[in-house]
Amino acid sequence: MAGGLTLQDVSLRFGGVTVLQDVGFAVEPGQILGLVGPNGAGKTSLFNCISGHYRPTSGRVLIDGAEVQGARPATLAKHGLARTFQHPALQLRATVLENVLLGAHTRLPGGALEWAFRTPRTRRAERELRAEALALLERNGLGWAAHLPADELSHGLHKGVELCRALLMRPSLLLLDEPAAGLSHGEVEQLITTVRRLRTDDDITVVVVEHHMGLIAALTDRVVVLDHGAKLMEGTAAEAQSDPRVIEAYIGKDAAADDAA
Amino acid sequence: MNGHVRSRRTLGIAVASALAVTLSACGGATDAGRGGDTAEGAPSPGITDDSVTLGITTPLSGSTAGPGTCTVAGVRAYFGMRNAEGGIEFGDGQTRTVEIEALDDTYDPQQAAANYDQLKNEVFAMTAGLGTPTNRAWRDAAIADEVPQALIMTGDPIFSDTEQSPWQLGFVPIYQNEGEAFGELLAASGQQHRVAILSQNDDYGEGYVEGFKAAVEGADNIEIVDELTYEATDTSVDAQITELANSGADVIFNAMSLVPLVVGALQKAQQLGWTPSWFLPSNTSSPGAVLEPGGGGAFPGIYSVSFAKAPASPAFAEDEDVQTYLSALAEYGDYPEPPAFPHCQWSWMVGATLEQAFTQMEEPTRDSFMEALRGIQGYEAPLMLPGTSVDTTQDGQPAVSSVVVQKYNGRGYDTVESFG
Amino acid sequence: MARVLDTPTPSTPPPPARSLRQTPWVRWGAPLLLVAALAVLPLVGTESFNDTLARIGVFAVAVLGLNVVMGYTGQVSLGQIFFLGLGAYVTAYGVQQGWNVVLVFVLACLLPAVAGLLVALAAARLGGLAIAMVTIALPIVGVPLAKRLSEFTGGSQGLSARFTDAPEGSGLYDDQFQLYLVLGIGGVVFLLTACLVRGKYGRAFAIVKDNENVASSMGISPYRYKVLAFTIASLIGGVSGFLYMVVVQYTSPETMSFGHSIELLVAMVIGGAGSIAGSLLGGVFYVVVPDLTNAVDPSLTSLLQGALLLLVLFLLPGGLVSLPRALARRLRRSPAGRGSAAPPTPPSSTPGSATAAERPQTERQGHA
Repeated sequence: MAGGLTLQDVSLRFGGVTVLQDVGFAVEPGQILGLVGPNGAGKTSLFNCISGHYRPTSGRVLIDGAEVQGARPATLAKHGLARTFQHPALQLRATVLENVLLGAHTRLPGGALEWAFRTPRTRRAERELRAEALALLERNGLGWAAHLPADELSHGLHKGVELCRALLMRPSLLLLDEPAAGLSHGEVEQLITTVRRLRTDDDITVVVVEHHMGLIAALTDRVVVLDHGAKLMEGTAAEAQSDPRVIEAYIGKDAAADDAA
Repeated sequence: MNGHVRSRRTLGIAVASALAVTLSACGGATDAGRGGDTAEGAPSPGITDDSVTLGITTPLSGSTAGPGTCTVAGVRAYFGMRNAEGGIEFGDGQTRTVEIEALDDTYDPQQAAANYDQLKNEVFAMTAGLGTPTNRAWRDAAIADEVPQALIMTGDPIFSDTEQSPWQLGFVPIYQNEGEAFGELLAASGQQHRVAILSQNDDYGEGYVEGFKAAVEGADNIEIVDELTYEATDTSVDAQITELANSGADVIFNAMSLVPLVVGALQKAQQLGWTPSWFLPSNTSSPGAVLEPGGGGAFPGIYSVSFAKAPASPAFAEDEDVQTYLSALAEYGDYPEPPAFPHCQWSWMVGATLEQAFTQMEEPTRDSFMEALRGIQGYEAPLMLPGTSVDTTQDGQPAVSSVVVQKYNGRGYDTVESFG
Repeated sequence: MARVLDTPTPSTPPPPARSLRQTPWVRWGAPLLLVAALAVLPLVGTESFNDTLARIGVFAVAVLGLNVVMGYTGQVSLGQIFFLGLGAYVTAYGVQQGWNVVLVFVLACLLPAVAGLLVALAAARLGGLAIAMVTIALPIVGVPLAKRLSEFTGGSQGLSARFTDAPEGSGLYDDQFQLYLVLGIGGVVFLLTACLVRGKYGRAFAIVKDNENVASSMGISPYRYKVLAFTIASLIGGVSGFLYMVVVQYTSPETMSFGHSIELLVAMVIGGAGSIAGSLLGGVFYVVVPDLTNAVDPSLTSLLQGALLLLVLFLLPGGLVSLPRALARRLRRSPAGRGSAAPPTPPSSTPGSATAAERPQTERQGHA
């Protein structure tokens, strides 16, 4: 599985407001790319352009060389793209396992009629993916919670469950939207281990939006910094942290915010 | 059609009883509640030596609750009064009181059928219920179970067809009867008439038009100049009235079942300066609800048909029938104010007609009752207008098929002998 | 219908209830016993008991269909009665034309399904309340349409079709035979639906209901699944229409009046939205309550029904199906306070949970 992602001159406008302006970068298969920038820089909008939730006003999005801009999210999911959300959207009354199994949707064969009749094929597939989901939860330290309703888990654990759900899709390209937001220090450590393992064990390309610079520094091969909807710079995390433009973008924002407060 | 074969069923029961021990709470006796095979001459269900029970399923809630409630109130008032006098002497010599069991079907055929199922083994006969679909829903079942469905309130001709409906008899005139009565009057006017027709596009409207056309067929003084329809869901018939006004008709035969549309049509015609003579069906010609708001006084004549005295009409204020009726309705029918729907009067007449049948039936059986019921001729039930009567002996006709044409006089209706 | 988890659950000791359910005796015995009980039931019931049961079956199936699109997939449908009516009309017409009953049944399923599909294809695109609006139109259009197409529908006089008298020689009464038909067909529909709303499709419907964005990221097109759910609901509605003719044997425009659609919706909510057992209870509510209120006072039926509706909704917002859970919660709460009140945490002391040791106790609560 590949999972290379290329963006060329992606722009997004809502009415007269320009949210993204000619953003372009490339992620090699198996790389981890960080997408950083101050609040309102357009990170999540860019994410939504990649995942198909928004359609770019202009520009191209390529996954493994194929143009996918404008494709529906459900179609992209079938082509190996998975994502998590800033605010994990779990089904709170279903069990953790059922939540994770949702990720198996595109991998389960058979139409509605086959499932209504519980044909051997569907039962076997369900059994296998159930086992796989449990193993995935186990591997991410959530095996104990598999049969609990999701609403009995803390926010931090929800993020873990959501990640497992995305992973059960067997993605080649994974988009993580602020995976560390609201996590405790220990949970962040756990997350770093998990994501690193995704690359080494599963060869998944990862794009991660994050404010947590520690996580960005520890995880990413390269970072792209966005500011006011445009790309400010691209390089390693260390380069970004020392780049004066980046510092200004953040400090300037903060100073402005302080003034306003 | 209780299709059962004794020996096989016994087998079924044998199998059943093995497990019935565990399920005894659900069922009880295996044969309980299945009537039908009563011996010849033995009393039918719902009748004893001193009482008889009648069942009614009719809308008591929902949009037809008004007339539906009346169908119970009238018959209940009638027999309440008779019971208070000591009961009715039946043809077999016994004196019985008459009890009424009424259930609400909300004008839902499914619920009507369920109500019938519930009542059929407790009551002697079903009667007086309002509605075509709600009566149709259990017509077949009543035939199969041989339960009388007597003197029900629907204009659907099927209930008056002895061949198709051996255990049924409708009470009120069918739509055709009404249309026909007006057609006959018009044909006999001796003047030339140009007639416009506006009818509801369903069997209600079709029935009226059919009756009317049958009556004027071959009459060379009648010319039908334009014929339009509307849908029961329409909110206005202004377009139709405008077109008909241009036809130059001097008479409009207007078979509409919806009060607001009739009011609107009357107003629109006046607006256009078109004032023909106007025919309206009995259920949309109420002076208070239709003609006053519609400005009926502007037309040279508004005609409708009726067979019952209107208790609200000043003409009948001193009428003995009407006074007896109103006081019984309040006392026994749980209906204190003068009724807004003619169904109360009709239902009262149903009670009186049933009494006629009761006094003639020689055995306490449903068979005997149906025979007696079909033998009533020329009976002028209380509240009936002169010129109308109950006649149950004509196949294809309901118990009341004779109606008189009436003309609006500004406050109520007067029976008229001729058009103009 | 009971779901059996085939997969081992290594890290949690299975609760005792599940192990009981997995005992072969219980796994095979319980359904067999149920089938046996249902097979005998029509033979021991009185006629009116059987009639009532059969009508419950009819409307339980209708409510089940509504539950698929509304309870499970979250799309407000106010038109379910239209599909029941359509199925009933197709059945009545087919029977009157003397068509083979199996063919009639297939048509009574397929035509409503196709009608539902066409409606959904248009309505689901609009999203949100548009589906509700479009579905309101169905019974509103259906009633005059049924009156108008009198060639097929018998106009406002409706259509009768008695085709379910017990066959000669079966030794059954009509009501017994009809109840068998309802139990058989309705039972199969319930079973198939119960299977469908678990597993792949159940999860997909649920996420379309909860969060369309997440659904689409999982490869689940909300549009397609809304259309699918609506079509299935229409098909099941058609089946209930066939059963309606089996039991009531008469249909008319009033059969599909808008009020009944609302009553079906009420029955679904009262029974329990998104629940198979709740659909059954909804059917019971739809049929038994009017009979019950009629027995109390026929002139106050709507008032009593309204009061009962409010009562259930106040006491059991989750519907009748949540009654056992609500009772259990009350029982658990009253004697020994907050035994289960604390949110669960990873069982660090549980041996065999390898990851638990890596996570210090203090960091586990997160932002709970």
